[in-house]
Amino acid sequence: MRKLVSMIDTNGADFRRFDAHNRTLLAKFREKQSETRHARPKRDLERLAKQGKMRPRERIEKLLDPGTPFLELSSLAANMAYDGESPAASCITGIGVVSGREVMIHADDSTVKGGAWYPLTAKKIVRALDIAIENRLPVVHLSDSAGGFLQLQSQVFPDRHMAGRIFRNQSILSKMGVKQLALVFGQCTAGGAYIPALSDYNVIVRGTGAVFLGGPPLVRAATGEVVGVEELGGAEMHTSVSGVCDYPAATEDEAIHIGREIVAQWEGPKKWDCRRDTPEPPAYDPAELYGIVPDDIKTSFDMREIIARIVDGSRFHEYQPAYGATLVCGFANIWGFRVGILANNGVLFNDSSLKGAHFIELCNQNNTPLVFLQNITGYMIGREYERRGITKDGAKMIMAQSCSHVPKFTLMCNGSFGAGNYGMCGRAFDGRLLFTWPNHQIGVMGGDQAANTLAEVKLNQMKRNGEAIDDEALKALWDETRSAYQEQLSAYWSTSEIWDDGILDPVDTRNALGVALSASLNAPLGTPGYGVFRF
Amino acid sequence: MAMILMLEGKPHAIEILRWRPHLVLRIDGRRHEITDIDDGRDGHRSAVIDGALVRFVRATDDDRCHLRIDGRTFEARRRDPRDEAGGEDHAHDGIKAPMPGVVVEIHRQAGERVARGEKIVTIESMKLQTALLAPRDGVLARLKHAAGETFDKDAVIAELEPLSGEA
Repeated sequence: MRKLVSMIDTNGADFRRFDAHNRTLLAKFREKQSETRHARPKRDLERLAKQGKMRPRERIEKLLDPGTPFLELSSLAANMAYDGESPAASCITGIGVVSGREVMIHADDSTVKGGAWYPLTAKKIVRALDIAIENRLPVVHLSDSAGGFLQLQSQVFPDRHMAGRIFRNQSILSKMGVKQLALVFGQCTAGGAYIPALSDYNVIVRGTGAVFLGGPPLVRAATGEVVGVEELGGAEMHTSVSGVCDYPAATEDEAIHIGREIVAQWEGPKKWDCRRDTPEPPAYDPAELYGIVPDDIKTSFDMREIIARIVDGSRFHEYQPAYGATLVCGFANIWGFRVGILANNGVLFNDSSLKGAHFIELCNQNNTPLVFLQNITGYMIGREYERRGITKDGAKMIMAQSCSHVPKFTLMCNGSFGAGNYGMCGRAFDGRLLFTWPNHQIGVMGGDQAANTLAEVKLNQMKRNGEAIDDEALKALWDETRSAYQEQLSAYWSTSEIWDDGILDPVDTRNALGVALSASLNAPLGTPGYGVFRF
Repeated sequence: MAMILMLEGKPHAIEILRWRPHLVLRIDGRRHEITDIDDGRDGHRSAVIDGALVRFVRATDDDRCHLRIDGRTFEARRRDPRDEAGGEDHAHDGIKAPMPGVVVEIHRQAGERVARGEKIVTIESMKLQTALLAPRDGVLARLKHAAGETFDKDAVIAELEPLSGEA
């Protein structure tokens, strides 16, 4: 493979402007993330300390092998929901290493409304368990949740992908032989109670840990029975009488210690044999990514510049370099793992779509995982392209991509508009992990186009109603429509709704993909094959 | 295929004839046997070339290799034949539109000298603005479209003076 030659002038005016812009975006992201992770009302923290409980992040830190990476997922989930009342959707999920094994960690955050599950909490836990299923990752639950958030129960409880899915996923994981461990630190009530019950192993902390379907107040209301927490579902009762829990622990530290020992008993992973070379850092500094991604979503940039700052040695074997140039395809290594990369250098044409489909087939036949780098405004439109069958060529790409049996990963580097999102393995296409950069925007069309369309509709309405329209009112209407739409295009909205697995600092992309690729090898490759390609 | 190694600005053709039991090379037509070859890392190293022990110090820097032998320093660089491909024909004279669209901004005028990678014009297509860059160093011969004009995919937007026309 050949080293990519960067054409970027790191002293140029564009570079410096983009760099300043992206570093500002990053600072905002860091600030938001830090607030989400650490800022809690003093009252809640004091209550936690009084109970002798650790914060969820401290528990995770003690659980993980020292010096190993932890890939936190969806760290800003729910940041634009519930008036910010549920930071990170009241739970922490991520991939880490415990006793030498890659595991999925799910930790309830009882500093927020007793760890009650908001609708997006359920979505985030379900997603974490989906990732565990797809990658056959053992799961460690750090349980401390009061169960569903009653006020929003209609959005937490009944539907297919709501709270029930957590327990369905736990059962399926167990059926697949993927181990689960629950450490019960606090009261696990109602839904929360099934998590330890459905885990293969669990540990409960004396004094603070409790498991019950209905807590003392509910019992009293339902049957009149007066019973204390310990007696109803404490460590002593569950580990010696009911058998709901396996190991009692005197303290949280001891529970974590026992938990680490349990994980150490599990059989080691059997990873499939992905081609792996000696890793080497990129030849170009990844920090230069800040100066490459432009400050305007409409401005294009060469994705090879991005690839050069993510892959090993900045080496890239480009496939069909002269054909379908708006889709860059080729092979590279990320932390030594051989991957096939598809990256957008403009709108998708017939030729670039066919090239993409062909390249995806090559990677599938070669058992090479796929990495999609999205910056896409869609497939080309217009009479000539419709006559050439742009839709069926796009469909071929979607077919090849959907049916891929190799692991797929998606990175939202900039824009993701229209059907291009589909061909390039958007959220709906079951990529193993999907990350976004802080500058990312996603929508069926861009902000300006949507504002034009929506403002026109509204304008016609006003005309029909005989309302007077002056230019100023028109401008105000356009601005209003655009800003309303714009908010929903942003990476923060996307990550709030868990349309991704989290926003990344661009510099961390390579490490995140390294963890993701390594984790993906735990699951055997799927069955090769495609549906019917329309020729 | 022989590889080309640049040593003090001169190309040398090197062909690997055999790897085992020891390395045999043909360098500029002459055969050499290398035994006790080192592991390729930087630092004080040695090799036995045609029976004679050669001691040297090596430091690699990106795609260059600095060697110090008998008090003299040499710089060696492997030349990739692909670097030469296409550079000296007329394939890079025209700057073509990668997609149909409209010219939104002209950065450089005809007659100006441009460096490889410099922006010539910015076009817009499907909500995306793309800067078309100079494919090589040269002089901008003509611009085929003014700002605001539309064009089809693969239309030539600008042309560089052919290389043969320069000194």
